[in-house]
Amino acid sequence: METWIGRSVPRLDGREKVTGQAVYTVDVELPNMLHAAVLRSTRPHARIVDLDVSGAQSVPGVKAVVTGRDFPYTHGGMIKDQPFIAFDRVRYVGEVVAAVAAETEAIAQEAAARIRVRYEDLAAVFDPKEALAADAPILHEGMADYPHSPLYENIPGTNVCTIRTFTKGDVQTGFAEADAVYDDEFYIHAVAHTPMETHAAVAQHSPADGGYTVWSSSDGPHRRSKELAEALGLPVNKVRVLSTYSGGGFGGKGTLVAEATVVALAAFTGGRPVKMIFSREEELSAAQTRHAAYLRIKTGVKKDGTLVARSADLIWDKGAYASKGPDVTYRGAMTIFGPYRIPNLEVRSRLVYTNKQIAGAYRGYGVTQVTWACEAQMDMIAQRLGIDPVALRLKNCYVENDTFINGQVMKAVGLTETLQRAAREIGWGTPKAAASGPLRRGRGIATTLKGTATPTESQCVIIAAMDGSVTLLTSAVEVGAGQHTALAQIAAETIGVDPTTINVPNSDTFNTPYQFGTTSSRVTFHDGNAVRRAGERIRKRILEIAGEILQTDPGRLSMVNGRISEEGVGERAGIKEVFSQKFPRGGMIVEHGSYCPAGSELLKADPGMPQGLSSAFWMFATHAAEVEVDVETGIVKVLKVAAAHDVGRVVNPQLCEQQIEGSVVMGISNTLMEEFKLDRGRVLNNTLADYKLATMMDLPEIVAIMVEAGHPEGPYGAKGAGEPAVAPTAPAIAGAIFDAIGVRITDLPITPEKIRAALKKAPC
Amino acid sequence: MKKPIELTVNDELMQVEVEPQTTLLELIRDGLHLTGTKEGCGMGDCGTCIVLVDGKPVNSCLMLAADARGRSVTTIEGLAKGAELHPLQQSFIDQGAVQCGFCSPAMILSAKALLDEDPHPTEETIKRALSGVLCRCGSYKKIIAAVQAASPKES
Repeated sequence: METWIGRSVPRLDGREKVTGQAVYTVDVELPNMLHAAVLRSTRPHARIVDLDVSGAQSVPGVKAVVTGRDFPYTHGGMIKDQPFIAFDRVRYVGEVVAAVAAETEAIAQEAAARIRVRYEDLAAVFDPKEALAADAPILHEGMADYPHSPLYENIPGTNVCTIRTFTKGDVQTGFAEADAVYDDEFYIHAVAHTPMETHAAVAQHSPADGGYTVWSSSDGPHRRSKELAEALGLPVNKVRVLSTYSGGGFGGKGTLVAEATVVALAAFTGGRPVKMIFSREEELSAAQTRHAAYLRIKTGVKKDGTLVARSADLIWDKGAYASKGPDVTYRGAMTIFGPYRIPNLEVRSRLVYTNKQIAGAYRGYGVTQVTWACEAQMDMIAQRLGIDPVALRLKNCYVENDTFINGQVMKAVGLTETLQRAAREIGWGTPKAAASGPLRRGRGIATTLKGTATPTESQCVIIAAMDGSVTLLTSAVEVGAGQHTALAQIAAETIGVDPTTINVPNSDTFNTPYQFGTTSSRVTFHDGNAVRRAGERIRKRILEIAGEILQTDPGRLSMVNGRISEEGVGERAGIKEVFSQKFPRGGMIVEHGSYCPAGSELLKADPGMPQGLSSAFWMFATHAAEVEVDVETGIVKVLKVAAAHDVGRVVNPQLCEQQIEGSVVMGISNTLMEEFKLDRGRVLNNTLADYKLATMMDLPEIVAIMVEAGHPEGPYGAKGAGEPAVAPTAPAIAGAIFDAIGVRITDLPITPEKIRAALKKAPC
Repeated sequence: MKKPIELTVNDELMQVEVEPQTTLLELIRDGLHLTGTKEGCGMGDCGTCIVLVDGKPVNSCLMLAADARGRSVTTIEGLAKGAELHPLQQSFIDQGAVQCGFCSPAMILSAKALLDEDPHPTEETIKRALSGVLCRCGSYKKIIAAVQAASPKES
């Protein structure tokens, strides 16, 4: 029986956060610090014919004005296609054309406004389907020359940034054997991450050694260090990235954004640090978005509901630069088949450049988009065949030891239980409240699966200091999900100390070891395993030291909450006393732990199938929603969401509930409230007054249900939570609307206008 | 041109010099270095910059510092008494109402203003009082629970 796993230990960062002491990137202050502002493109696609920065340079207090010609580097973690600052060409409204560093932000802004640009407009394209046309304007003529991984195949001479396909079995045979074949198209819109802390970064250049130090709330400090180093031709030991607390990321802080601008400026300020904070308008129009997508899926099904074949054609809206899009859309494309056993599969996924704000990673990493299409169509199939939507899903869904599309045998599959418990909690099959005036009640349900980035590496160092106090050095970023607390609990459990006494400082790539990133819901599993391994070593050494000091066999010793006991004797000493005697003149013990699932039997795929599709663990989630639709106004009110998540063994129930409850709120907000209003690529609603987010008034009853299918390779059986959490909310709401008023919305967001228009066509 | 004003910040009487266009938020963050107060939009839409002025919640980005003359401002740094947290701060930790934490100071101060006026608010009243602060982590359910748990017990 564990002491600390499964307990709602209060988060370690709680006290700093409720007292205002927590330092975020926007709070970083350094001696002699300068402040940045940028001039952004007003054109969606244009050549920069003339750029006159003399007006900016003459403003008192300006220390540097930098253009793409001054700093001609490009970056991109997957495809190096993005200039730090536009180089003779702009590809979206909002792209950085020139940057200024000055004594104050106000001076920098005034100077940026004095920069004169002459553009020669180029034809622009704003819709990915139009961008696929033979005569479409091309954004990246030099695409073939961009350094990129061979995984990301592009089509030079077109706007196809990457194309990926997958085939298994024979879909034509499958369709021929089916009793019915349904061919439907869905659309999912772009949304903004909208962290309450906008993008921000501070950078300092060392003229002495040519290196950079960057302060950032990015979710992957080591990967940012690598991307900067590769872009600038520096070794990573000259690019130091320090993490602060993050005021929310949701995937949007997973590439170089503000970091790119401050690094470019810092090269020209003689060693003075430069800070940039995005305004809310910049955050909503020039940061990154979720990828919008057209999702066409064709599914063959037997009369009894057995799925026999599915083909899919996916077109993703990339915006102007690749960012993490190639990988986001790959993960999405390979999840279009849902959590279902379907023998015959085919998908083509094209990621297409457009002259719009860049799309990037967004909570769910492509899976949110495909879950919308997959689950909406499952409901439509259920309706057409006259089968209960829950029964249809239960009939086809993955169970323990089923194989994923590449043949990986899936372990710890708690999907069925998520479906059953969410359905029960929402009252599936029981009578609904009767219609009242214009109000109609309905229920809907949707489910999803998500893998995690695999194989990826996490390392950590654990120190037991001279007084026995423990410090965990990790580069996992505390993005708000309680990563540091969960890792401290795993360390505490393994070592035998109290987690609230463990120090987990924010990371620093020069001092905390590599880990791939705080992404993909991977930290508890991967970093947790690394922590467990380091913790076992530390524990062994602590007990060896205790054996030496207490003059007994360490094999007879054990430790719980820092108290050391001897078998048959009882408590002997505290870790502090033992260490004080061992290290009278100071000292410490240090142990390293690492984990990467590469080579694990668990990832084995069928011969000839890509093992890259295997996941270290699989997460499953089902959301069931009850809504009330006003047939006069078209307004949808979400009354209740039952959200059942199979997260593996729960390390900290309260933190897990936070992820689930929070994602329901985000899912409702994305589905019913958020939408970019664009005019030729320009974001018109770039304030929070016009880009609406869910407030406390929109909160429904949320019941978070944790299903614990313990994973054989997870630390204490844990898997992960957070990323798949938003995905099932939209289709569950859409299903509930259909149940209420018989109207099926296939393009997001769901607005009162769409509901009313649909009701006019088919009044209920 | 800078003008001197006198105001009370977290129970400390102070004299500061401010430009006519300086907002209270700029004075608090840049002038007094009380960075617990956050800026989320600078336009009064998100509520993360809320502080208490004479006990009432105010979007400090929308108030000029000069208008705080002679008034009493409470920021998140002024809530704890030494090492002892305010009951709302403790409750936010205990109930799991904090995730990224960027909105937490504004949520806690808004809740303080509410409880000072109405020690036993209904859920609906809490929602209305705190709905001016956005939380993208979506911690709303646990924030309501934290306010309820911090409500003084009837004797």
